Amino acid sequence: MYCVKCGVRLQDGVESCPLCRTPVWNPDAETEEKGYPDHYPHSHRESSLPIAAALTVIFAAAALVLLIVCLRLYGELSWGGYALCSLGLAYIIGILPAWFEDPLPEVFVPVDHAAALLAVLYVCLKTGGNWFLSFAFPVGIISGLLSTALICLLKYVKGGRLFILGGFLMVLGGASMLIELFEHITFGTPMFLWSLYSLVGFGLAGLFLLLARLIPPLRHGIEKRFFF
Amino acid sequence: MQKKWYRLDTAALIFPAIARRDWCNAFRVSMTLSEPVDPALLQRAADDLRPRFPSFFVSLRKGFFWYYLEESENPVQVQKDYAYPLTFMSGRELRRNCMRILCYKNRIAVEFFHSLTDGHGGSIFLCNLTARYLELKYGVSVPCEGLILDRNQHPPREELEDSFLRHAAGSALSRHEEKSFLLRGTRDGRGFRTLTTGVVDTGALLDMAHKWGVTVTALLAGVMCESVMGIQSERRPRKRCRPVKITIPIDLRRLYGSKTLRNFALVLNVGADPRFGDYTTEELCKTIWHQLCAYATPQHMAGMIAANVQPQQAITIRLVPVAVKNIVMNGIYRSIGEGGGSLNISNIAGLPMPDVMKRYVERAEFIIGPQRSYPNNCSVLSYGGKTYINMIRNIRESELERRFFSRLVELGIPVDIECNRR
Repeated sequence: MYCVKCGVRLQDGVESCPLCRTPVWNPDAETEEKGYPDHYPHSHRESSLPIAAALTVIFAAAALVLLIVCLRLYGELSWGGYALCSLGLAYIIGILPAWFEDPLPEVFVPVDHAAALLAVLYVCLKTGGNWFLSFAFPVGIISGLLSTALICLLKYVKGGRLFILGGFLMVLGGASMLIELFEHITFGTPMFLWSLYSLVGFGLAGLFLLLARLIPPLRHGIEKRFFF
Repeated sequence: MQKKWYRLDTAALIFPAIARRDWCNAFRVSMTLSEPVDPALLQRAADDLRPRFPSFFVSLRKGFFWYYLEESENPVQVQKDYAYPLTFMSGRELRRNCMRILCYKNRIAVEFFHSLTDGHGGSIFLCNLTARYLELKYGVSVPCEGLILDRNQHPPREELEDSFLRHAAGSALSRHEEKSFLLRGTRDGRGFRTLTTGVVDTGALLDMAHKWGVTVTALLAGVMCESVMGIQSERRPRKRCRPVKITIPIDLRRLYGSKTLRNFALVLNVGADPRFGDYTTEELCKTIWHQLCAYATPQHMAGMIAANVQPQQAITIRLVPVAVKNIVMNGIYRSIGEGGGSLNISNIAGLPMPDVMKRYVERAEFIIGPQRSYPNNCSVLSYGGKTYINMIRNIRESELERRFFSRLVELGIPVDIECNRR
């Protein structure tokens, strides 16, 4: 029995050519025995769930002990609040993704930033500071937006990585000026103390990557010298 | 009693580092007998081989600086074969044993984690396993010819050595090469591997190769190169095309006369660049053959060996913890490890074995799993006048197989197709 399209000889009993899917019609053919049994492995992935569960228990126990110690010693959360915030943050950043089979960085990075902002808000309220809305919040939002955008671009845009990284570095330079502006507004520090350096540094690095992308000899020279 | 342990050989170091949660580098060799296999006798045969092949009955262990292989406490249990070859070997499984012995109807198959050995070492183990099985089942006496080793002999040191260390040149060759076109497709669910076997008359294949003055490996690589170029030309304009290169493992035992049963092979990426014009199949086969002749020399390969050996001998690298090494090796592998070729064609030319065995063995096959970054792979083995071309993939599309086998038919080489997906 031959495939009319590919010209290869097929096993008796197949319903279509395995190469081109052309249907085969041969009512007289007897089905040949299968070369492989219908026996599938249980699971082809090692699950990270047991590790995630064990670490969750350890974190929960640590949080509980911390809570009991603080309440027994001081009758209030005191410094334990900061420690609990750190524990929660470490859990969200380090362990929460392990519960998922395929954690998406474009989801977890904004979640991590939101958690970090909440922790910083707690510190701000606890210390009676007046810097959350005018400094920490906008800086957190800028950082979250930039890192999520970078991840999405690298993940979903095919090719052009040097363009993406070059552009990102230049935007990062611009963002550093914005951060210093918020610092200036909130804390009254002088403007352009450090952000100009970072703007120039990131800008030049970004420009270099863009040029490397556009000039093949430069790109190949970098590859040759920095190849490891 | 203290357990024996072995350092990983130079080529094996990379495999534990690059293994992922759903992929590891493994291969399979199998023999189909004339009668159904008795699993109990096969188990006895496997147990009998343990003293002669100590480097195969091992588990993968993690040291502080390097991975190593340790004599396994757990016997290698004969298992029932699965619906597809080379099912995932998990870290837990590798910590018990680094190989599997499987049987299904008349077939004996052994699957190896690549840190253990290469295709040649695997073939020797399978031949000896089958020989011992035939001795137990039929009472025949299999002489020590071809790939059959003396079972009563103590394993000589040269079988266990890392031959790379002995044959490295003083200077290393650069690993840099232009990236090849990579095939893509829709991933199959549950890690299924589709195996398409093309059974070809070895005589017809040899006639075609001799007509063009090339080897069978060069002929198959040329046809494969043409098939991949055809796929690329449909997806990209010529200006944006990439070179199409086929990765061909070279058995270094033939070049250096080594008898090691550990890994001792290196790969060459050979092919052509479609941006410079069109090629006929004959031109592709010839250019690949010339590249193989030029590079598969002891001197060139010694330079390639040095590129692998030198970094692992540097004290600054040796003192780095294994976890950090894993990250670095992963990065290196991602940037240069597989990018040089579009897919492998691994050809174990044949399995020389005593005539008494040939009466019972009807068929032999060699299958390599898909690589981490590309979805198709091809492995070839000739036995009993037939050549078994196994094309494995972890994607749904069968475009490459269709082009490759149809082209062989067009060249006047009849192909019988078998597939594990119905």
